[in-house]
Amino acid sequence: MTRAVRLALLMMVLAASSLVTACATVQPWQRGRLASPCMQFSPDGELAAFASHWQESREGAAGGNGLQGGGCGCK
Amino acid sequence: MACRAAGVAASNAGLLLACGALAAAIGAALVGGGPVTAQQPAQESYGISMHTFTDSRGVTVLSPTGELNRDFTTRTGLRASFGVDAISAASDSCVRCHPDGANNARAYVNASLFRKYGDTKVSVGGEYSREAFYSATTGSTSISRTLNQANTTIAGGYAFSLNRPVLHPSDEDVERQYAHSAFATITQTVTKTTAVQVGYETSRITGYQNNPFLRATVDGLRMLGNHPEHRLRHSLTAKVRQALPGSTYIEADFRRYTDDWQVRANTWSAGLAHEFGPRLTLAGSYRRHEQTGASFYQPVYTGQPEFFTADFRIFPFDADLYTGRLNVTPKQGLLAFREGTSLTLQYEYYRNTTKFQAATFTAAIRVPLTR
Repeated sequence: MTRAVRLALLMMVLAASSLVTACATVQPWQRGRLASPCMQFSPDGELAAFASHWQESREGAAGGNGLQGGGCGCK
Repeated sequence: MACRAAGVAASNAGLLLACGALAAAIGAALVGGGPVTAQQPAQESYGISMHTFTDSRGVTVLSPTGELNRDFTTRTGLRASFGVDAISAASDSCVRCHPDGANNARAYVNASLFRKYGDTKVSVGGEYSREAFYSATTGSTSISRTLNQANTTIAGGYAFSLNRPVLHPSDEDVERQYAHSAFATITQTVTKTTAVQVGYETSRITGYQNNPFLRATVDGLRMLGNHPEHRLRHSLTAKVRQALPGSTYIEADFRRYTDDWQVRANTWSAGLAHEFGPRLTLAGSYRRHEQTGASFYQPVYTGQPEFFTADFRIFPFDADLYTGRLNVTPKQGLLAFREGTSLTLQYEYYRNTTKFQAATFTAAIRVPLTR
């Protein structure tokens, strides 16, 4: 098992642990910082779409940014 | 020149089709309600962006885009965007046969309608794109639901794409490629300052997957590649957002990618953002991508291999991406746009170990539809 895979697994376990232990709910009036655009997972659709489009025209890996479109003929 | 003319003609036709599709989508949204997307911006707005891309092969792309986010009722809304990629000196694979370069243009339009049912959001959408030697039609749907007093969001979706590459230099030999993809994510608020998201995405691609432009060396001869007609892809993601004291935020993302062509990739990114008051944000991030080559990749082929490739996307390589972004929202509005209008400027620099480098620059304006 490579170091990268071990780190990936560790990250997944930590994330999953966070989900499991997240029963202490954050109330709506406590979410001021969470509402910042900097805390969003996809803050700007157009920028993200442009980035994933040109990156996928150069890299064999894809995914993780929501549903995929039909790609392009960029070579 | 014939290539260029064909490209321009095709792109014009694509643009007309794209505009027609956008009008139809907006019309449908105005007439009736419909289902919708899982990830919607919080505010009604329209946006105009200009993206530029240039790389070490001499390729330049200008991409003006437009975007609309509109709520028709408290439960129903529309998100639509359209754009054009104007490409000059279209890549070294074109330059091989067209020493003076070969221009191309790609036009696309997409739209999705969403509708809320209590804590559940449903969306349906589609996208159409067309360029000189490729067209793609996609239909998609997604659903999301908030739980645990809105501290947890689960989402899932499915998309189908029919892609039609043209076997250039022929304008008549059109192949077909089918892509099914699905995803699921869980987003969790962990504390008042921490949010995490884990996700899984898979796609199954069948049909023509060769590259009609790139040639591999097989027994000393330059030949078009031959790829398998089936590919199953998986990606697993984990993302963390953490607010720090003093209006500073950090983000960390990881993606593990695998497929049955034996491409394996780890992609990491980390970023830092700081809000200098409510109207100015500066952000920077670094992304590292490491991937193995496809099982049938070789620099040079000998004998009679079943599969061979010259597609640089499935070569083994590492890549680095540096991004800087500025977002400003002037108090009195921006130029002739109303108060609340924001301007985003973003620069990216990319390089990988195949001696490829690229840079992008984006200027984007987002204007609220209501004060």
